[in-house]
Amino acid sequence: MLNYIARRVGIMLLMIILVSTMIFFLFRAMPGDPTAFVVDPSMAPEARQVLIERYGLDGSLWDQYKVFIKDLVKFDLGNSFFYGRPVMKIITDRIPATLILMLTGMIIAYGIGVFGGALMAWKRGHKLESAGITIALIFRSAPTFWVALMSIILFSVNLKWFPAQGMRTSGYTGETFKEIFMNLDFLKHLILPSVVAGLYFIATPLLIMRNSMLEVLSEDYIEMARAKGLRENRILYKHAARNALLPVVTAGALFLGSAIGGMVLLETVFSWPGLGREIVQAVTRHDYPLAQGAFIIMSSLMMIMNLVADILYAVLDPRISYR
Amino acid sequence: MNLLEVKNLDIDYVTKEGNLKVVRDVSFTLKQGESVGLVGESGCGKTTLAKTIMRLLPDNGVISGGEINYKGENIVTKNKEEIRKLRLNEIAMISQSAMNSLNPVYTVGEQIIEGIRSHTNMSKKEAIKRAEEVFAIIGLEKKRLKSYPHQMSGGMKQRAIIAMALSLNPSLIIADEPTTALDVVVQDKILSQITEIQKQTKSSMIFITHDISIISELCETIIVMYGGKIMEKSSSKVFFKAPYHPYSLGLQNAFPSILDIDKGDLISIPGAPPNLMGELKGCRFKERCPFRTDKCMEELPELKEIGEDHQIACHYPERVDEFREESKKKETWQMVSDRIINESKGDA
Repeated sequence: MLNYIARRVGIMLLMIILVSTMIFFLFRAMPGDPTAFVVDPSMAPEARQVLIERYGLDGSLWDQYKVFIKDLVKFDLGNSFFYGRPVMKIITDRIPATLILMLTGMIIAYGIGVFGGALMAWKRGHKLESAGITIALIFRSAPTFWVALMSIILFSVNLKWFPAQGMRTSGYTGETFKEIFMNLDFLKHLILPSVVAGLYFIATPLLIMRNSMLEVLSEDYIEMARAKGLRENRILYKHAARNALLPVVTAGALFLGSAIGGMVLLETVFSWPGLGREIVQAVTRHDYPLAQGAFIIMSSLMMIMNLVADILYAVLDPRISYR
Repeated sequence: MNLLEVKNLDIDYVTKEGNLKVVRDVSFTLKQGESVGLVGESGCGKTTLAKTIMRLLPDNGVISGGEINYKGENIVTKNKEEIRKLRLNEIAMISQSAMNSLNPVYTVGEQIIEGIRSHTNMSKKEAIKRAEEVFAIIGLEKKRLKSYPHQMSGGMKQRAIIAMALSLNPSLIIADEPTTALDVVVQDKILSQITEIQKQTKSSMIFITHDISIISELCETIIVMYGGKIMEKSSSKVFFKAPYHPYSLGLQNAFPSILDIDKGDLISIPGAPPNLMGELKGCRFKERCPFRTDKCMEELPELKEIGEDHQIACHYPERVDEFREESKKKETWQMVSDRIINESKGDA
């Protein structure tokens, strides 16, 4: 098992280099001259030249790439053109907000989805089943930003239950992680966007769980569990749901990719100061280092989550062992 | 008192196209320590009958008539919780597909202990001890309790299932084709173990199989089913010497004796089991019976006593000598085959 993880981490590092290379050239292929955005064209040519050199935009593409990779190995993603601060610092500042929002959404979606899906299969043909599927599909097909806007109108503007935007009430300043994230004010700001995120995510676990439950329920070991005289709840959760969970875990890991994508829209609508919003801005500003860095970090996160899912899978299913 | 008493049992499967009359008017009794064998083709209702005794019918299965009295109490009218307490503790099942009857994500031990603990107040330790005991009885090492199903061979899994069924000393064991998935050598070993255990524990057994030779070794009584009805019921000693019903005679043909292996091809019963949907008229076996008459087409034969502990459902028990003679001939069954082809042409 440890051997396996070590090998996977090795492959991951290689993949990150590969992905970084692709990202690097992708941005260079984008139309528009970064120097025009970054460096004010009205400046004196000498001053411009100094700035361009400082940003490393004067060398050939190949030279720029070499510098980029050399820094990357040292976990240095360079300085943001726009902020003039290290990209690493900007990303690590932003990432907790995104992760907290995303994970809360995922927990809501998976918590309700897994149990709901199991229940729907157990009570096949019940009204609850068709209602559940319909609701889940509505929230999956409706544009996220629209659902977000509607929820703001209803819960923030009309009912005034939750704040409409941001991560904290303006004027509040926190320095440490604890001060920023572990308080009631933050929680109030979190509820609306995370519920909207959860509603968007919920279709996947709910429907996969239901389908896989239906399959499991016709297995012989379920009949055997009944023949053993176990209580219904125990059969449902310990025998059926436990086995039905396996495909949900895989789907969950793959789903993380699109989940991060979905965050961009939500963060924009709710003015949530997360990584997603930062990426959009960085791309429009031609802030190469920041955009590159954010994409690299996001793809690394994806890979880590996939590894976690694989490990989790081995824990859940004794038939799978990694060597 | 009888341990089990099945009285005029009717079972239906409710489908969109109508009711499927899977079991009709089945009665038999079983004393403590006795075993009965149920034989018949696939779809004749034997597994349905067995599952009904444990009330394990699928949602569309309905007991539409009759009683199942277990130790004097009617199982049909019991509620879910009462049934739950009966399962494994009183009536245990050795299922048809041992290969898939164990949950792949738990160890075999966990699954046995779970069953024990859901019916008793045993501590985990005591339950483990009990599991080790039954494993010893069935000839599995106790370290196997820690194995996952995928780490065991088919024979071991089947043994584990048997061990599970024995774990609470049930009075009645229902064995639904427990050895069909196994090779002949393992099958024989397991069967002899089952008989051994049954003698020791004095539990009764209902043994379901399509292999009538197994019944001769295991059971005092044999019940031959066809199309949801009992065709012949007899002590197995009598049955194997002299079966009565034309269907039983046909079945006997289909099983080769090792002594006359060079006699040539086996004679099988042509045709397929009847469709149990809609209105059923006459004898269930009429389509495939070489000796049918107009009476058979119209009138359902009742189960009649024809000897000590021997009943058959046929209008013509007195013609048995003629039937036995004729049924040994290939031409007799060839005639049935031709008749079926002709009839199906007539339909079209």
